[in-house]
Amino acid sequence: MTKLGLGGITGSRQAFYVVLGLMAVLLFVPQMHNGYLENLFRGILMYGAMSLGWNLIGGYTGYVSFGNVVFFGLGAYTAATLSTHGIRNVGVAIALAVVIAVIFATLFGPPILRLKGHYFAIATLGLALATQEIVSNLDYFGGGTGLTVRQDQFFSLYYYVMWGICLVSLLATYAIARSKLGYALVAIRENEDAAAVLGINATRYKVLAWAISGTMAGAAGAVFAFANGFIDPETAFSVDNNIFPIVMALLGGVGTVAGPVAGALILTAINETLWSHFPKVHTIFFGAVIILVVLFLPRGLLYLFRTRLSPRIFLESLRAYRV
Amino acid sequence: MRIQNVGMRFGGLWALSDVSFDVERGAIVGLIGPNGSGKTTLMNVISGVLKPTSGSVVYRDRKISDVPTYDVCKLGIARTFQIVKPFANLTVLENVAVGSMYGRNGAKRSTSQAFDASQGLLERVGLARVAGKPASDLTIPDRKRLEVAKALALDPDVLLLDEVMAGLNLAEVDEALQLLRKINDEGVTLIVVEHLMKAIMLISTTVVVLAEGKKIAQGTAAEVTSSQAVIEAYLGSRFAERQAQLAEIKRQAEVAQQLERGLP
Amino acid sequence: MGLFLQDLVNGILAGGILAVVALGFSLVWGIMNIINLAHGAFIMLGAYITYQLFTSLHVDPFASIPISFAIMFAFGYVIQKYVINNVARAPVLTTFLLTFGLSLLLVNLALMIWSGDARAVTPTYAGSNFSVGPVTIPWAKLATLACALAITALMQLWLARSKLGRAIRATSMDIGAAQLSGVRVAQVYSIVYALGAGLGGAAGSLLSLSYSLNPSMGEPFIIKAFVCCVLGGLGSVEGALVGGLVYGIVESFGSQYIGTGYQDAVALVVLLIVLILRPTGIMGKATA
Repeated sequence: MTKLGLGGITGSRQAFYVVLGLMAVLLFVPQMHNGYLENLFRGILMYGAMSLGWNLIGGYTGYVSFGNVVFFGLGAYTAATLSTHGIRNVGVAIALAVVIAVIFATLFGPPILRLKGHYFAIATLGLALATQEIVSNLDYFGGGTGLTVRQDQFFSLYYYVMWGICLVSLLATYAIARSKLGYALVAIRENEDAAAVLGINATRYKVLAWAISGTMAGAAGAVFAFANGFIDPETAFSVDNNIFPIVMALLGGVGTVAGPVAGALILTAINETLWSHFPKVHTIFFGAVIILVVLFLPRGLLYLFRTRLSPRIFLESLRAYRV
Repeated sequence: MRIQNVGMRFGGLWALSDVSFDVERGAIVGLIGPNGSGKTTLMNVISGVLKPTSGSVVYRDRKISDVPTYDVCKLGIARTFQIVKPFANLTVLENVAVGSMYGRNGAKRSTSQAFDASQGLLERVGLARVAGKPASDLTIPDRKRLEVAKALALDPDVLLLDEVMAGLNLAEVDEALQLLRKINDEGVTLIVVEHLMKAIMLISTTVVVLAEGKKIAQGTAAEVTSSQAVIEAYLGSRFAERQAQLAEIKRQAEVAQQLERGLP
Repeated sequence: MGLFLQDLVNGILAGGILAVVALGFSLVWGIMNIINLAHGAFIMLGAYITYQLFTSLHVDPFASIPISFAIMFAFGYVIQKYVINNVARAPVLTTFLLTFGLSLLLVNLALMIWSGDARAVTPTYAGSNFSVGPVTIPWAKLATLACALAITALMQLWLARSKLGRAIRATSMDIGAAQLSGVRVAQVYSIVYALGAGLGGAAGSLLSLSYSLNPSMGEPFIIKAFVCCVLGGLGSVEGALVGGLVYGIVESFGSQYIGTGYQDAVALVVLLIVLILRPTGIMGKATA
């Protein structure tokens, strides 16, 4: 009667297969020879990977990081710096970005992951801001003006690579969620004291989770640098790149496998729609969307598919947390 | 296990001072004392959650304070918490499985093996019927059972039970006692903290009494309940004196009776 | 020596405003356990209120402080009562994203109304200084410090003496007990958030005298407010004051010796040092 990967850990299995199917479909986007669409979906894949990364530390481990953009930015700058020195191989850039992400997480993880709740959230926010500041002050990285990146002839290469990163992140999340590591992370999230007594070395697993989440964001950043052709501190460490992955995970379903990718798709769709209909004020509406999602859909859209639909679901959060 | 001169200080307060006793293998040690006497603090020290300010707990020639909290279960020591700590959003089965995966023998087990072992554990404690329910949906007695099941998943040699019977009705207490006896019969040493006198007296092989952080008595249940110091700690010194006076009066009455009968 | 003193004075002058910023942030965090990421937006709005009053109605910036306080107070009250109170006890992810969304909304609203061009409030006394020995002090900044201290003193008095102030302190100590004593927690929360917004607005007005305005001017203050709270301890006026002054001085010396570009890095380092060594802050008492 053993039931592995019950809803609590992986989310709905059907949703996972649907997303896999979507990924297969997305593979054909470059064939449409539409630059706008290619950019759009490459962005979705990028945010998908970043959101999956955030989901690992924020959703599964319960350590809500508001600074994971630091990994993205470091990855982007890794690629850009390599390019400046003549190395324009995407694979090399990704590999190095991953290594740097791991080093960064191993270095800063132990002190920062000792903090909890609000403190951890703000500390990571501070970390991202501080890193952005330091990078923009160093001329080696182009200072405030940034670095240009020479791109490959075959531009769609970057689409396929980003697709690959998103897929790997998705499969990795699935594998982790079903494995012992996944249970360790969730145990830490649910009750860190109880987890310790059961034999889980919380620090080691927290740092591991953060490192893995960093590699996903870092790899995405490296590819982004190439695809964008240009990197500066504002772009690499932008607030959007920090917050979007979080809202996407929330929208799709925090702590599920398919949620972040679904969230990336839906939020990008919302964003694009708002942009085309309200070009001047779309960010204002976007802020309103975030507020609405947080208030009425905090368990994510995928949750709607797992329970019986009724208006009460949207009021669940209010009822639980109202004062 | 040897508890040697354990002292624990929080700020200006000594929650424990100079507590020492030995725990024999296979015993059931009942740990009692009035509120605030330091029982839970002592449990925290023994299970490695707190490092004692002075003294040490030695188990199989290893000082527990030398071992990080997450490795204590590898030594063979497991505990339940007085305020239960379930993994609320996981099912009952998953809760126990985590212990099975990471406990003493966890490294050798895969996830599916851990789940299989957990199923057996749930049956042992009587939770098999709610295996698929989220832990947050359980009743109080079931939550207590879950705590015990999680601890058992660590394959312990020593099990610390902190007020595991609080909030149970009489029938449930009996079930709990049966379960504890079963566990003990399988070779697990138990250290049980309880407020329920009857329960402690019924199953303990040795009883240790704490009051205000100090050990004031140790012995069998009978020895401890008739100890002056214990009565004083629980019921106050005037009550103890009164008891002593009453006992003396009774004895004198008996002697008088004897003398009467003995007269020709 | 002169340079040292100048840096010190600059730090104190800046620290006064930081104290007001930190106080608003600290009250909301200490009493409601909500980190208000929209605090920067409130500061910014207060500054723009002063700007608008100055340019359209020629109201002196210092006179506009109570007005911007009042407007932002009302604004914050409405937001808390009808939006945030619905999820006031939610975990950090919810409240963070909620206040972030609010901030996004407000900053872009400001962008739409006032555009991204830098604006300035320029009363006639803006540039004049006086000197005490080797130290130069701009009049405006000194007056700003005085106002900041006055505001903190007023808040301290009000919190300690007034019935509402006591209700607030009771709520921060124990919600359940406060409710049982008849305190309407929802109402208290609305007032506290309103106070936070009002103080943010007042701080913004003070800032408008020394810095130019743009819609994102308030954002850097969130991290600074956080650090001040951690330094000085949560939920107390003295804590915010001490935290603000200390941070102002640290920042002043920091930009002298490390360069102005590293403010956030300095903030982060200070934050991490304090959190790891003395989590309750320099003055704080242990919180749960």
